[in-house]
Amino acid sequence: MIADFLDAHERHWDDAEMLFNANRLANADHLYGLAAECGLKRLMIAFGMNIDPTTGSPINRQDRFHANQAWTRFESYRSGYHNGVSYQLPPNDPFYDWDASQRYAHQSNFSQGLAISHRNGAGAVYELLTKAVLEGIV
Amino acid sequence: MITFDQILPAIYQVLSPLKEDLKKLGTIVINRDLNGRVRLVLEAKLYDKAETAGAIDSIVRKMSDRLGSHGFPADRMVLFEPSLEAVKQGTQHFRLEGFDDVIVIDRLASETDWAKIAPVASGASRIVFFSIKGGVGRSTASAVAAWSLAQSGKRVMVLDLDLESPGISSSLLPHERRPTYGITDWLVEDLVDNGAEVFENMVARSDLSYDGEIYVVPAHGNDPGEYVAKLGRVWMPKIDGQGSRESWSMRLNRLLLELEEEWQPDVFIIDSRAGIDEVASACITDLGAKGVLLFSIDGEQTWSGYNILFRHWHRTGVVRDIRERLQLVGAMIPEVNGAEYFDGLREQSWLAFAEELYDEVPAGESADTYFSFDQGDENAPHYPWPIRWHRGFAALQSIHSRFQRIDEDELTAIFGPLVAGVHAIVGEEGEHHD
Repeated sequence: MIADFLDAHERHWDDAEMLFNANRLANADHLYGLAAECGLKRLMIAFGMNIDPTTGSPINRQDRFHANQAWTRFESYRSGYHNGVSYQLPPNDPFYDWDASQRYAHQSNFSQGLAISHRNGAGAVYELLTKAVLEGIV
Repeated sequence: MITFDQILPAIYQVLSPLKEDLKKLGTIVINRDLNGRVRLVLEAKLYDKAETAGAIDSIVRKMSDRLGSHGFPADRMVLFEPSLEAVKQGTQHFRLEGFDDVIVIDRLASETDWAKIAPVASGASRIVFFSIKGGVGRSTASAVAAWSLAQSGKRVMVLDLDLESPGISSSLLPHERRPTYGITDWLVEDLVDNGAEVFENMVARSDLSYDGEIYVVPAHGNDPGEYVAKLGRVWMPKIDGQGSRESWSMRLNRLLLELEEEWQPDVFIIDSRAGIDEVASACITDLGAKGVLLFSIDGEQTWSGYNILFRHWHRTGVVRDIRERLQLVGAMIPEVNGAEYFDGLREQSWLAFAEELYDEVPAGESADTYFSFDQGDENAPHYPWPIRWHRGFAALQSIHSRFQRIDEDELTAIFGPLVAGVHAIVGEEGEHHD
């Protein structure tokens, strides 16, 4: 299957919201991380990231990351693209304490506070994507 | 297949027979993106609603068919957003003519759109010298105006905003008096919060006026440095830590306020870039100018340019905000057949103003209550302030030495109406800084 980061961002976000509203915090938290990663990768393509057309995935190894590395990597693309100035993320990385391996952890580890901070981070990415769609850059 | 100029007429044609359907949808947004592709944006509450699904589907299909390359496939043509106000925020938008609830949002790659007219700035008067074409004596005339205002006791600050072709500084300052930095340096340093480093050394006092003061802020300093690399960053907006955005013209406006506080000028003379250009737009629409002098030579290029601008102001509904600040200047009136040339210029100017900027006076009513002028009305904004061509003032590079032995009678003969007009804009009373 070929990567479609915009669609993946939207479905992860939508499903995370459904789980969050049903108080299924552990899996909501996981999907917020995936939504942020996919959304930022889609924006990075608009800002010049090279992708392999046969897979839709980034060519550069450094561009293959999870949500907890996404904030800084995104910034390096954004600052090199003059329209990127309008696509600023909140300054503090909300995913510093998120890790893909947490999907193996027990659900009692996932507090509402933790899920809300990741929800806010993914929500900020969601807003940038909305703007990018309206401006026609993705 | 339609092209850009047919987008709005095509949308008009699609929507006109569907007015009943539109009523069910409330406000709708036509979003014309950076590439000139159009999407419909509707309120999220309409998503998946049975009563409106048919109407939306019908509009979307027709728009998608009609717009071709300037639209999207029907299944991607519509976006649902929780707040249309949020979608409009910070964008240029206007009502589609003929519809009360259809808003067109235009997303431009450049920051300035010529259609947000700042109110007249309080404090020192700001007078902008603009032309569609370069090389018409605009910078020379602004130097003369500055000199004359200073001779009458005003403190005058001249800003060279012709950043891509700087020049006025050379007419007012000999090379050795030029400051270390210029406007470009400040705009670049400001991006990294370092404007204070250049602020004290970007203004020089001209030695041409004995009774008043002329301060000159050049486009670049004595040594232009890496000018091209700096110019390419001048247009950057600045985003602070909280994410609030300051466009480059807002930054420029902040610079003017800081200069005003530091140097206390009575008037700013702003030499703008020529043409329908980003800097010119900032000068004319964003800085709160009290007067905008439109330098003109008679010819197709001039009138085509002014017609484009005037029509844009008309279409975006801002004519009333700008028209009373405009004044046409007839540049380089030739020595031979000058009177005939002037008549032709006046006629063309009147046609351009009357078509887009002047009110239409209904039959039987007095023109006095309307913003409307006869072609021969000397007080009308279209009536050119004439500047006679003169070989002594034609070459800008020699002008500093030219000014040093200035003959007031000669100057009045050439620039008299302009000088009088500029004095009238500034006003003679109550605006002095002591």
